[in-house]
Amino acid sequence: MVVCCVGADGALPIAEQARRLIAERCLKCHGGVRERGQLNLHGAERASRPAASGIRAIVPGDPAASELLRRIAASDPDDRMPPDGPALTQAERELLHAWIAAGAPESPHWSFVAPVAPNRPPETADPWCRQPIDGFILNGLHQAGLEPSPEADRATLLRRASLDLIGLPPTEAELAAFATDGAPDAYERAVDRLLASPHYGERWAAPWLDIARYADTQGYEKDGHRTIWAWRDWVIEALNANMSFDRFTREQLAGDLLPDAGERTRVATAFHRNTLNNTEGGTDNEEFRMASVMDRVATTWNTWMGLSMQCAQCHSHPYDDLAHADYYRFMDFLNQQVDADTDDEAPNMAVTTAHGATSVPVLQELPADQRRTTHRLDRGALTSPAEAVEAGTPAALHTFDADWPRDRRGMAEWLVAPSNPLTARVIVNRAWESLFGTGLVATSDDFGVMGDAPSNPALLDDLAIRFRDGGWDMKRLLRELVLSSTYRQSSVRAGAGIERDPSNRLLWHAPRRRLDAEAIRDSALLVSGLLSRTMGGPPVMPPQPDGIWNVVYNGSQWTTSEGENRYRRAIYTFWRRSAPYPSLMTLDAVDRATCTVRRVKTNTPLAALVTLNDPAFVECAVALARSVDGLDPTVATDAMWHRALLRAPLETERAVLRSLFESELARYLATPTDATAVAGEGAEPARLAALTSVANAILNTDEFLCRP
Amino acid sequence: MPPVMPHDLPSLHAITRRQFLGAGSLGLGALALSELGVAAPLMDGAIDPAAVRSPHFAGRAKSVIYVHLAGSPSQLELYDHKPELARLHGTPCPDEYLKGERFAFIKGHPELLRPLHGFGKRGQSGMELGDLLPNLGGVADELCLVRSMHTSQFNHAPAQLLLHTGEPRFGSPSMGAWVTYGLGCDNRNLPAFVVLVSGQTPDAGKGIWGSGYLPGVFQGVQCRTSGDPVLFLNDPKGFDRTGRAAIIASVNDLNRITAERSGDPETATRIAQYELAHRMQLAAPEAMELAREDAATLELYGAEPGASSFANNCLLARRLVERGVRYVQLFDWGWDGHGTNPTDDLVHQLPAKCGQVDRPLAALIADLRRLGLLDQTLIVCGGEFGRTPVAEFRDGKRDFLGRDHHPHAFSIWMAGGGTRGGHVHGETDELGYRIARDPVSVRDLQATILHLLGFDHQRLTYRHNGLDHRLTGVQEPARVVKELLA
Repeated sequence: MVVCCVGADGALPIAEQARRLIAERCLKCHGGVRERGQLNLHGAERASRPAASGIRAIVPGDPAASELLRRIAASDPDDRMPPDGPALTQAERELLHAWIAAGAPESPHWSFVAPVAPNRPPETADPWCRQPIDGFILNGLHQAGLEPSPEADRATLLRRASLDLIGLPPTEAELAAFATDGAPDAYERAVDRLLASPHYGERWAAPWLDIARYADTQGYEKDGHRTIWAWRDWVIEALNANMSFDRFTREQLAGDLLPDAGERTRVATAFHRNTLNNTEGGTDNEEFRMASVMDRVATTWNTWMGLSMQCAQCHSHPYDDLAHADYYRFMDFLNQQVDADTDDEAPNMAVTTAHGATSVPVLQELPADQRRTTHRLDRGALTSPAEAVEAGTPAALHTFDADWPRDRRGMAEWLVAPSNPLTARVIVNRAWESLFGTGLVATSDDFGVMGDAPSNPALLDDLAIRFRDGGWDMKRLLRELVLSSTYRQSSVRAGAGIERDPSNRLLWHAPRRRLDAEAIRDSALLVSGLLSRTMGGPPVMPPQPDGIWNVVYNGSQWTTSEGENRYRRAIYTFWRRSAPYPSLMTLDAVDRATCTVRRVKTNTPLAALVTLNDPAFVECAVALARSVDGLDPTVATDAMWHRALLRAPLETERAVLRSLFESELARYLATPTDATAVAGEGAEPARLAALTSVANAILNTDEFLCRP
Repeated sequence: MPPVMPHDLPSLHAITRRQFLGAGSLGLGALALSELGVAAPLMDGAIDPAAVRSPHFAGRAKSVIYVHLAGSPSQLELYDHKPELARLHGTPCPDEYLKGERFAFIKGHPELLRPLHGFGKRGQSGMELGDLLPNLGGVADELCLVRSMHTSQFNHAPAQLLLHTGEPRFGSPSMGAWVTYGLGCDNRNLPAFVVLVSGQTPDAGKGIWGSGYLPGVFQGVQCRTSGDPVLFLNDPKGFDRTGRAAIIASVNDLNRITAERSGDPETATRIAQYELAHRMQLAAPEAMELAREDAATLELYGAEPGASSFANNCLLARRLVERGVRYVQLFDWGWDGHGTNPTDDLVHQLPAKCGQVDRPLAALIADLRRLGLLDQTLIVCGGEFGRTPVAEFRDGKRDFLGRDHHPHAFSIWMAGGGTRGGHVHGETDELGYRIARDPVSVRDLQATILHLLGFDHQRLTYRHNGLDHRLTGVQEPARVVKELLA
């Protein structure tokens, strides 16, 4: 077996191990949803009650009397539990035996317990360690008998940090300045420059827009336009200003209810107005208003708590300590707003922006005499309202302070309370995932019992505590990660780690990852010199193939933008839920119908076709070729390579480029109409066309498409 | 083991890494890995979503052609004959039906509308079918007709979403994505899940062939009948085949150097994907080229190379399943027979639409039978809901005859793929308003389709945002309708 990802604190407590095993193998039938044989194994107290048969599955301290142990070891397949899947292994049976013998102790799920400051591991004194996180990582590596990889070269480091922090590669001038900066803090200053760049907000807004399910249309059949870009710009500006994450939370969830509420904080509340609207004939507005409210509950929990609240809509959570009624108590916070499922998106607020006057849908609380009564809905059905509930939060989690108002404002306070065991962990984990590919909790969308345990619990808690107590400072968090020795390692996979930790959970090398959809488009625009750096404003319509937009009942047209708006960063592309921009979708962007915490990367031939053939990418290749057209061919191909990858080609690479140029030049000289089709009527169209082929190849290399 | 997914999906585990890492952190890794047959090197993200995978058990069908008549045809003119409606024509709909009833467009107290076209018994089985579908009547003994479908949605977009994704909202994977996720593709040079649209895009847009929370690679690829058959398939202007081949060869030569230097297995995967892309550039146009069919076949379907029609799409569907494509989704526009004008009524428009689809549908069944492919190809045909037994008369105007949306009862049919030919399942009441016997919900239909492909619908699941999701949802039980199976 490969390295088992247990952190510096060693193995999980036996209670935690037993609970996870029971959750995985038993609770589907004997848990919050189903209680087959009237047996519920969710929690040792319930599990030790007599079942329908009168027999007790678990008798704490008495393995011999515990029916569960007999059934998991039964050889008769009709008797054996669990009935589906393989039998439990001997190690698993021994674990449950030991747990019951020890009195079936219970410990709350790790993520439901607030982090406490861990001891720093001893390696902190090792000169390799530059940042607090490095000690934890080095400790983990040493426990597995591994050493970190050497530091990446400077060009790689700058390209990596730039793509990670601002979503764009460095320019050649930026690289030159960095490469010749001999000061010991050159890298730190480069990182600080990137963190201060206005492009930082554009890059980090993209995942937040996925979370917030931001789009420029309403969804459903008509999928009519929605004007809500002022909120998108608010996000970019808030990130650039490094608004503390707790403030970022309060403004978006309750910006209208804050003591210092103003136009800006009200714009922020559009976060929860990104829900879908259904304005089809005959629809029941209340039904779809409720669908939106439930979506807000789900999004709030996924975003801040890293837990799914959706199952509790119909029944108590099968695995986590969230009761059915908890769902509706929490929903009451989000059920007191004015908005209905209407065409005009009311309530809207007029705002003035740098791009002129616009409007934005906002949250607005109902007057006190019109507040709705929230009912628990039996099995989640609108038609089966049960008892009325009051706003509140689940008992299994931290308490709701008596001083907080029982409204969205209080809900926001509860989410960013220092006693909240989850939010800080969830947010630092997401930052970690963005920079290191996999979160410390690999299931960044699930911190519940069925999610993964953290690979390095002490590190996660240390980061979370310092983030929370240090003012929820996103840039400081990212700065620490990017300045760490862990981050600065080479991404080359070589040595003992390949065998011992093939999945690189311990981070013995820097991860090499394909860029996000937006970064691929933006990088191609940047290196070809086409990128517009204009920020904000109404969404734009860069070229897309004909026929993508022909959804019914909607006369709206994709009107390809003119001038620099063809070349804006991807985040400004008009996002239509029923027909999202196709090339970005092929590169794993999401349709933004519901909250998405984590994109899944794929590697497909369709993605290759985008970067090879999409006219938008071909236009980049032409522009890149044109920029070096006057140079000697070898110099020209080297120059394009350097522009794209920020290093000179190896001799072997140069030979490939040269050979492609020669064969394409010969072909284009023989087919002049093809040459002018690519290059236009220039002095030497065949030459420019051949350079375009080389540029097209360079922009399709794995190295260009990856963060190094 | 978490109840996650079909038992043999190593490459998908590679995509998310969750299975591996989750098990590892528990100390159960060895167990999980040996069960899944996952080799460690795969864990580093080498993704091959197209690889063929085994279902839970041997399925009867290997591929699906799902024909969706978007807007929803009238079952009362085509599949479900109700003489009682003729007798009571023009009388007010009985009150008992209208209590708590909500229509999309009808206002006031509606009146019953007689069947506007004739019916007759077809085939050895004597299946009663509408006169507007004479050719389909000719293959009645291949059809498995369900007259007792019902849905919870009465607007197009939510009903289409429910039918294809199991949820009436955006965000869930379509059935084709689930099937592709479960089975992979038999032809690595073509997309596994292809969508063909005649007329306008259906109301719910591309969400009904999307991948939802599954990896994007499982979404349906819309093959277009004009322009590139697959988006970005054709080389840009001035790039000919030789040039493209040279460029791809160069990219892969460069990537091989990178792979060697970086040791990144993902780079090796990318090299393979570029080779695939190149082969797809050749294979997809060939598959989409109807001119390669002989005259008799074109005539059978009523297909015309170069045109854009439902008939062409039926023939394309056959060509695609023949080449190993797993799931072909056809959408045809123009079935929303409200009767507000001659282009959406039951007297003019419905016969015209039937004239467009009757022959190609019958041809598709006969052709697959002739090729020996019908038994392994499941065809499903129907709308997203039914039409009301009452007339619509929107805004009180009585110039044209039509019916409103009706979620309580509608008909669909299946053919091939292990379904029972010449069989009629379920029955509606005398007015065709409600189901009288053997109701089949949308989720039952989905469970049955998955069953025919070899899947237990409860076990074909995917974990997202902390929940195990499945096509048939968790809220109401779905059942495999065994009576439909051969």
